[in-house]
Amino acid sequence: MEKYRCMICGHVYDPAKGEPKQNIPPETDFADIPDDWTCPVCGASRDKFRAVA
Amino acid sequence: MAVRTIAPDIYSVGAVDWELRLFDALIGTPQGTSYNAFLVIGQEKTALIDTVEPRFEEDLLKNLMRIGISSLDYIVINHAEQDHSGTLPLLLEMFPGATAVTNEKCKDLLVHLLQVPEHRIKTVKDGETLDLGGKTLEFMITPWVHWPETMITFEREQGVLFSCDLFGSHLATSELFVRDFTDVIGPAKRYYAEIMMPFAASVRGAMEKIADRDVRVIAPSHGPFYDDPSLIMDAYAEWSSDRVKNLVLLPYVSMHGSTRKMVSVFTDALIEGGVEVRPFDLTSSDLGEIAMTAVDAATIVIAAPTVLFGPHPAAFHAAYVLSALRPKTRYVSIIGSYGWGGKTVQNLTDTLSHIGAELIDPVYIRGYPKSEDLTALRNLADTIVKKHEGVITRP
Ligand SMILES: Cc1cc2nc3c(=O)[nH]c(=O)nc-3n(C[C@H](O)[C@H](O)[C@H](O)COP(=O)(O)O)c2cc1C
Repeated sequence: MEKYRCMICGHVYDPAKGEPKQNIPPETDFADIPDDWTCPVCGASRDKFRAVA
Repeated sequence: MAVRTIAPDIYSVGAVDWELRLFDALIGTPQGTSYNAFLVIGQEKTALIDTVEPRFEEDLLKNLMRIGISSLDYIVINHAEQDHSGTLPLLLEMFPGATAVTNEKCKDLLVHLLQVPEHRIKTVKDGETLDLGGKTLEFMITPWVHWPETMITFEREQGVLFSCDLFGSHLATSELFVRDFTDVIGPAKRYYAEIMMPFAASVRGAMEKIADRDVRVIAPSHGPFYDDPSLIMDAYAEWSSDRVKNLVLLPYVSMHGSTRKMVSVFTDALIEGGVEVRPFDLTSSDLGEIAMTAVDAATIVIAAPTVLFGPHPAAFHAAYVLSALRPKTRYVSIIGSYGWGGKTVQNLTDTLSHIGAELIDPVYIRGYPKSEDLTALRNLADTIVKKHEGVITRP
């Protein structure tokens, strides 16, 4: 599972950790995150994330 | 600022702040700034586009009086930040028939930042237009071309793009249009570095959106206007591209001369290797100039001694601001000197990791540099010379 970085603020979504404060459990693939999810740091939408090279 | 005509029935009615020297209480503005606002008079309706920083509300009101405006139909708000929209509450009080026009996200911010009553705001979507009678305003929503709610407004008939912070500059000038771009490119680049660089990807998106419009005039919300839009558009295409220059940005601070000696040797080694280098003493440098240099630099090296177990605070401050501005820099490194121990390298590495650049092994030494330390610095310079050969595209 790949990590994803927010293009706006640089926050990295790590699938191993999930997003505990947003009810995204650990081991959640980025592809399985709901469409209306937003970045926990800056609020950018999901399409602003890119796979970390 | 006096009322000035941009195009028939399109006026500049904002204010010039000749004295401002620090914007957002953060970064220097050595040449002041302006808060631009515009009046567009159609056959049926009149719209004000943006307002001014509240300290300058009198200038805006006087300008409206000079034109003889006794009522306003619309007040278009491109951006909720207070230096643009701060006079909106007063204007809504003065003009009870006026409606604020903005997008959904911006509405939410206006309500929270300025307590604007919701029922006074009309929301528009991307691509939506407002017909003033012979003058059509088209709204383009450009999220993250500074804030999440930012939009720009295009007047179709005369081709005037009210570009909000995009293409702006902190420059107080009596000139309406840019006549000599060499006077403006510095302030425009500084502005790009401070405000737009963290959002380079969104800036590129907005530029694509604009590309198929017939833009004849660019009127940003700070600084002078362009009746030759290609000047600033070409500059932005370069700044927001991922091309880097054969340049090392080297912010440094030194208390007792050890780091200073390292900086001096390292600077010489880079110059000998054919790399341009810009050292900045952080105790006396302007952060804006450092940010401007970061727009192009292929590499950033921070030079700092350890103070109370971490980096000297001036170096931490610079690293923090640079990481927040997220330049396209490909390589970062750290040099400096410590006395007995601490977490300087760890702390700066963590801070700089935000940039997403490759870390080249730091040269962090104990005390005053000895000959093997100077060799290590020359090796670091060599590594940078070689790495640059791989990433610099020669014209
Ligand atoms: C340069 C700058 C950047 C900002 N970035 C953010 C941000 O990333 N997220 C946010 O919610 N607000 C952001 N804000 C908005 C401020 O936090 C907000 O306007 C706040 O109310 C300012 O309060 P103050 O001026 O009283 O200190 C930013 C403001 C400025 C001036």
